[in-house]
Amino acid sequence: MSAKILQRLLVAVLVAVMLVWLIVPFAMAILWSMVDPSTAWTYPDLLPPKLSFERWWIMWQTTSLPTAILNSYSLAPIAALLTALLAAPTAFAFGRLDFPGKGLAQILILVPLVMPGFVVAIFFASILLQMGFFARYPAILFGHVILYLPYAVRILSVSFGQVRTDVVNAARDLGASPWQVFRVAYLPVLRPGIFAAFLVVFILSLEEFALAFVVGSPDFTTIPTILYSYLGYNFIRPNAAVVALILVVPNVLLMLGLERLLQSANPASVSGKG
Amino acid sequence: MRRTLFVLLLLAPGLGLVLAFVSLVLYVAVSQSFGLYNLGGDSVFSLAHWQAMLGERRYWRALQYSAYIAVTASLLAVALAYPVALLLRKPFRGSLTLSALIKAPLLVPGLVAAFLFVNVISYHGIVNQLMLSLGLWDAPVRLQNDKNGYGVILLQVWKQLPFAFLLLSAAVQALPDAVLLAARDLGAGPLDRFRKVVLPLTAGAMQAALVLIFIGAAGDFSFQAVAGPPSVDSLATLMTSVQSTQGDWNGAAVVAVTLMALSLFGSAALAILVRGATRLARG
Repeated sequence: MSAKILQRLLVAVLVAVMLVWLIVPFAMAILWSMVDPSTAWTYPDLLPPKLSFERWWIMWQTTSLPTAILNSYSLAPIAALLTALLAAPTAFAFGRLDFPGKGLAQILILVPLVMPGFVVAIFFASILLQMGFFARYPAILFGHVILYLPYAVRILSVSFGQVRTDVVNAARDLGASPWQVFRVAYLPVLRPGIFAAFLVVFILSLEEFALAFVVGSPDFTTIPTILYSYLGYNFIRPNAAVVALILVVPNVLLMLGLERLLQSANPASVSGKG
Repeated sequence: MRRTLFVLLLLAPGLGLVLAFVSLVLYVAVSQSFGLYNLGGDSVFSLAHWQAMLGERRYWRALQYSAYIAVTASLLAVALAYPVALLLRKPFRGSLTLSALIKAPLLVPGLVAAFLFVNVISYHGIVNQLMLSLGLWDAPVRLQNDKNGYGVILLQVWKQLPFAFLLLSAAVQALPDAVLLAARDLGAGPLDRFRKVVLPLTAGAMQAALVLIFIGAAGDFSFQAVAGPPSVDSLATLMTSVQSTQGDWNGAAVVAVTLMALSLFGSAALAILVRGATRLARG
């Protein structure tokens, strides 16, 4: 009995800690982003004296925020699409074929995950300089594709592994062309995996900082690099609050969508067969 | 033969591209640390860049500091994640909410986390205000950019705890009930059950968590740049400043090779040490 009470107490404490851990920081950021530029929020005011969206409007009009948003939100879907396309053949090999060295290959694909981001960024920049390649947008795009290929390969390998061989064979027996086999036997099972891979790369590309910062310096901006510029030497708290929220809110929504997708990425629910 | 070719063709655009890119980056970093592939001036093999960097105090401080942050953050995150993973082993009312709350930092990019944190602990921030109004502190305390890097460690734990939690809870949930019940029948208390049953059976997941968190924390730039002590560099911030403010690619390469060596050997050493400690704890 007392163990149960202890457990309840523990859970209550944990929930309280987690709320402080999350809600307080976000509430502060929202308040700071809405401080009206005409009246400063200074000590000892407990709350900002005047709240407005003026700051958001000013940032939109006078800073490079719109360009940064455009860069980030065009890089992310293109990177996601390219990554999914390039990952598919490798994922097919991992999910459906047996070949010598497969175990090793499956480990090697994960190497970018343990490379320090700034090492990759700086020496990628060095290679670009040596090649005389100065177009930063395609360079960053290429970097994102490589860095996030492991995620897409992992997710799609699982999906390919779930495709049922008997369905593939049945389609072939009935005289389906390769394209028809793909449409009938593969695509329905792969679809959630494709969406999940796309979304994972989209999210990771949106929040990627090292490569965009190093390769894009000094003036190519994405949302994370513009946030960093307000956190560095010229620390502007309300501006940083605005950019932080612009970065994190869509991220949270996308992640929640991803969670849904990963839960539905279950062959039984997709193919209708257990 | 044709089949081998087919598999290689399939692997080329994915695995092939990744391996080519990673090896090229590694090759250039190592070469530039020895004066090869120079961007300016002659490319001659030399140890001068290593000698110059190894002679600098800030290099050793950065190495020591990054190792310290990585060890502390990975040990703390794993130590905190274990009890939570055990608590959530069996579902109960509110357990889903709790586990969602624990995983929430995964949704928050590192820079945003760093900003939220310095905002809360700033000189007139909410923590200082609270302590003042409670009468615990007489004057606001400067918490931001503390010289021991506690802020950075806290941020690392905040950000990395979910990883440790995910890995450990998968391992803990795979523990057979029969084994735990048998241990209880044989008279093992909670601590003994943890030491002699849970720990040995989940050591693999724990090591994986330690290694991943160690590597992530050793290469940290964002937390150090925003919330770290101003007088010290982490290896990543040192490398970036050597490259961008001094234009010294060779020096940056030396730091880069050091960082990769720390990630590789440091994380392996930590994992082995902790494994040894759990063996000892089993008695």
